[in-house]
Amino acid sequence: MKLKINRSIIALWIILALTFLVTGLVDSYFFSIPSIGITLQLAAPLGLLAAGQTIVMLTGGIDLSLAMIATGAAYIVSVKSESGLFISLAYALIFCVVVGAVNGIAVGVFGVNPLIMTLSMSAILIGVFTVGVSTFLRGSSRMPDLLITASSGLILDPITWPLIIWIIVGGFVHFSLTRTGFGRVIYAIGDNAKAARLAGVKVWQVQIAAYVSCAILGGMAGIMLGGQSGAVAISLANSYLLPSVAAVVIGGTSIMGGMGSYSGSVMGALILSVLSYLLATLNSSEAFKQLVYGGIVLALAWVYSSISERK
Amino acid sequence: MKISLREQYWNLSILGLVIILTVWRSNQLPVFGSYEIKTIILGIIPIALLAMGQSLIIIGGGINLAIGAEAILINCITAKYSEGSDFALSLRWALIGIVISVIVGAITGWIISQSGIADIVVTLATSFVLIGFALFIQPGPGGGVNLDFAKYFMGGEDSYIAPLLVLFLPILLIWLPLQRSRLGISFYAIGSSKDAAFLSGVNVARTRVSLYAVGGLFAGLCGVSLTAITQAASPFAVISNTATLNSVAAAVLGGVALAGGVGDLFGPALASLVLYYIPTIMLGYGIDPAYSQIIQGALTILVVLVGGLLRARGKR
Repeated sequence: MKLKINRSIIALWIILALTFLVTGLVDSYFFSIPSIGITLQLAAPLGLLAAGQTIVMLTGGIDLSLAMIATGAAYIVSVKSESGLFISLAYALIFCVVVGAVNGIAVGVFGVNPLIMTLSMSAILIGVFTVGVSTFLRGSSRMPDLLITASSGLILDPITWPLIIWIIVGGFVHFSLTRTGFGRVIYAIGDNAKAARLAGVKVWQVQIAAYVSCAILGGMAGIMLGGQSGAVAISLANSYLLPSVAAVVIGGTSIMGGMGSYSGSVMGALILSVLSYLLATLNSSEAFKQLVYGGIVLALAWVYSSISERK
Repeated sequence: MKISLREQYWNLSILGLVIILTVWRSNQLPVFGSYEIKTIILGIIPIALLAMGQSLIIIGGGINLAIGAEAILINCITAKYSEGSDFALSLRWALIGIVISVIVGAITGWIISQSGIADIVVTLATSFVLIGFALFIQPGPGGGVNLDFAKYFMGGEDSYIAPLLVLFLPILLIWLPLQRSRLGISFYAIGSSKDAAFLSGVNVARTRVSLYAVGGLFAGLCGVSLTAITQAASPFAVISNTATLNSVAAAVLGGVALAGGVGDLFGPALASLVLYYIPTIMLGYGIDPAYSQIIQGALTILVVLVGGLLRARGKR
């Protein structure tokens, strides 16, 4: 067991080092401190999304509404920012908690398939925000300056505010998953929900908590993405849905639940971020980027699963 | 036997809903003649074909989140190369498109069974690859098709016979024989239990490749019908994602169990009418079509929820 974890993590390090080297060879500027800073800064929101996705996937679920939750939270913050930063953040928090709780209650209490639940939730949110843009959420979608600084402000090259936030929040997620009772029951219900229930775990409560924390992490990531782009569009986080799942899968978390770690997902997020830097420098068409990105994600997941299966 | 009876109840209640919605829609229109029926059938053909492909894959215990992208890819290929062509060339490209779609499906199935990665992850990744290919072939909206070829899908002025055939021939010629064949039965077998299917001599890996290939066949038919009906192609991820979501929703509404092994393709074909009517009727009242997305999402959740409760009750 110990050996297997080590092998997987070594494999992840090798893949990260390889993508890092290849990117550096293609674009020599990549090895400079500012561009590493930018890569880490862009990895931070993906890392937060992956944190949420990791928690849910460890319970054996999946959250395909995560990208829309992120967009929604960012949109709410930007539009409501006229009434004060904290009030707008509170609105966004309420939004995340409500959506997460609805997902969690449907999955945990009513036993709705998580894939369908979150896919439908995503459709509902797209509908709500498309309507909202011209009615109850009308207004300037510019992010407040403080949040722009928090999402892209430089402290000391290559350290940026989003990196600090990611380290603190990510550290907290890692701690919760590995050292607390909450983390233990997350793994337990993902491994065998029936056994966990017989052992006295209230599975539905854990699932609600998992989906709510996932939504909150998604909201944070969305606000960070919004801050990095300055203004929020309704399609803000759309392109982050596959990466959020891919980072977790590449990082070795089983989609069936019960197995994996957040540190793996962090590695997955870093690999994918270096990869998107590489694709951006290749100056290629959108078609080529999508094709290569999807292909590499698939190849990495395959390599990873074959490495960890052998032992 | 008891289960199949309950399925019939389910299909009948969907049929009831469809009838109610049809009456509702017909009251919105000043005339409800063969032209209006034709419009409705043309509207549901792409949804229904894609829903059938998705349902088949779900019955076999998988799910294909790239099925919309697959259809859009075929849509782009056929629309690009059939633009300004004669009938024979359009037909040839339609056939090539369908063959490509079957191959894409088979490759997807092969990757899933060889890699051991979950269906969701593989197809989420292939959806990106396929949209990438579609963008390569057709960088923006455009394309066209031979009008005589399109007529075989659209029918004449007021005749809805041709669209009706396009809708029902795949069920009659592909699904009915398949359901009774060895392959079709093994789809149900691997859908309900891979281990049990393996132990009773089903080659699970090969069956899965065929499963995704037949799913690809329906996606290809959907792509070709899109080309014929819209006479254009638009390579956008938003469209393919909505199409995929619709296909899953129709499968679920049509009584296909997500756990696999249960359902048929008639229910989803019927259910795609419901998915077509919701936005159309709302638009008839001048309501923003974005609301229909909310209702559709809520309806899908509700159906899965009720279905789950019924199943839990049945077990007791």
